Amino acid sequence: MSDEHSPEYYKKKFIPLIYLVGGILIAGTIITFAADKMGIAEKWGFVNAIIFAMSVAVVKASAVIYIFMHLKWDIKLKTISLTLGCTVIFFIGMMWLTVGREIDSNKPGHSDNTWSHVTEPEPETAPETK
Amino acid sequence: MEIPYYDKERPDTGLYNGKAGIWLFLASEVMLFGALFSAYVLLRVGAEPGTWSMGLMNQWVGAFNTLILIASSATIVMAWVCLKLNDWKGFRKWKWATVIFAFTFLVVKWSYEWPAKFTHYDVTFVTEESASKVYTDVLGPEFSETQSKIWQERFDPLKKDQEKSPLAQVKLKDKPLDGHIVGYINSDGVEHEVGAAWGIPFWSHAFAWRHDRKNIEKEKDKSIRYGEDGRPVYKEGHFRDTFRDKDIKAIIFVPAHGTWDREEKHAGSGAVKYAGAKHDAGHAHSEGHDHTITIAREDISRLSSYEPAHSTFFATYYTLTGLHALHVLGGILVMLYHLLPVSRRVYEKNPVQFTNRIEITGLFWHFVDLVWIFLFPILYLL
Repeated sequence: MSDEHSPEYYKKKFIPLIYLVGGILIAGTIITFAADKMGIAEKWGFVNAIIFAMSVAVVKASAVIYIFMHLKWDIKLKTISLTLGCTVIFFIGMMWLTVGREIDSNKPGHSDNTWSHVTEPEPETAPETK
Repeated sequence: MEIPYYDKERPDTGLYNGKAGIWLFLASEVMLFGALFSAYVLLRVGAEPGTWSMGLMNQWVGAFNTLILIASSATIVMAWVCLKLNDWKGFRKWKWATVIFAFTFLVVKWSYEWPAKFTHYDVTFVTEESASKVYTDVLGPEFSETQSKIWQERFDPLKKDQEKSPLAQVKLKDKPLDGHIVGYINSDGVEHEVGAAWGIPFWSHAFAWRHDRKNIEKEKDKSIRYGEDGRPVYKEGHFRDTFRDKDIKAIIFVPAHGTWDREEKHAGSGAVKYAGAKHDAGHAHSEGHDHTITIAREDISRLSSYEPAHSTFFATYYTLTGLHALHVLGGILVMLYHLLPVSRRVYEKNPVQFTNRIEITGLFWHFVDLVWIFLFPILYLL
């Protein structure tokens, strides 16, 4: 096994690491929750609030992947990393092709009417001719 | 035929086959959930002001479920470590703990969080006058300022200057009043109460609809039989039980938390802050109905609970959390299988193989946890 350890290692090193990661996850959840209750979106702005919340989520996710999913000890890390790397690149490519352009044209403040509650007048249609 | 490399590494991948397989599966899962996350972001960024129903989530319940999943992620690693240390009893102990945490997560979702949404309604009004009449009943004659503030907090908390907010252009009739239906008045003027479970008025037209469809008479070719009035004919002894089919003159409504004040409690607790509506002397509302208002049917343009059809937000919310809950359920079934006696026999026959199975289950379970780590801030907080 690539992530094989001695029983001593599991008892003295790995189990404390599990508690540490558990602590990081709980702390991250409390920080995000408290930040929302304190209204950081109002104080920092919506974009900064998203960056903050996603940063905390990424830290939590990294701790889970690195320790709980034991990528840290996988000496053949390259197989998994390549799989994940290709997935992420493929996914970003797909999303950029489909979603990216769409979001770009709908940013707040742009000239389109997405962000204002104004109903465009119905275009007049010519009566159907048979 | 013996499947190779189930308990030792395959030379080219450096992983036993099961582990390589689960990582490929997780890669496909990343794309599935990633696409849904992207769809959510796209829909939210492109949403018109006043249509993205944020601020309606129960954040405490969401946070509780997050902690539950975190705990289960830690206990499943502990179960795997116990097997590495040849501790079968310890494995069972931690595995059961994981199952209990996972089950608690689903129970909270299934028995409280979703049902509470299915019995919580938004009322949109027909005209400015009808909206104004009801808001005056709820908030008093000076309702405009309070109502604007509450509305702003729900849909557009970042715009401090209300005049410049796009929401200022949303008409009063299009600003729904949220709360619970606790009764209705039929066309004969008779008042009916809606039952409650755990203090939550228990009536969802989505729920009733299923019951309703079941009791419709069918023709031989299985098509619906319609009566002379153009409505479906019901089986003998059964009645129309949908909200829409009842001949309703008015609904008796309790304005609730969400639109009004996040700190408010349900009316039953007597702690409703803003919903001190005038007592409707026309109807014999007694105890527990002190905060109700009566809204005539002709004043209602749209009535919807927080079900998927309510808005794009709730459609995506149920899609994302429903798919995630299915993964939790799948994980529970696999973990229960590992606690059956047959698994003990597999362990005794080949401990490495069984330990690998637990590792694979753990990897899947951590992924389920990872998805929730991102779902919680996106759906509940931001």
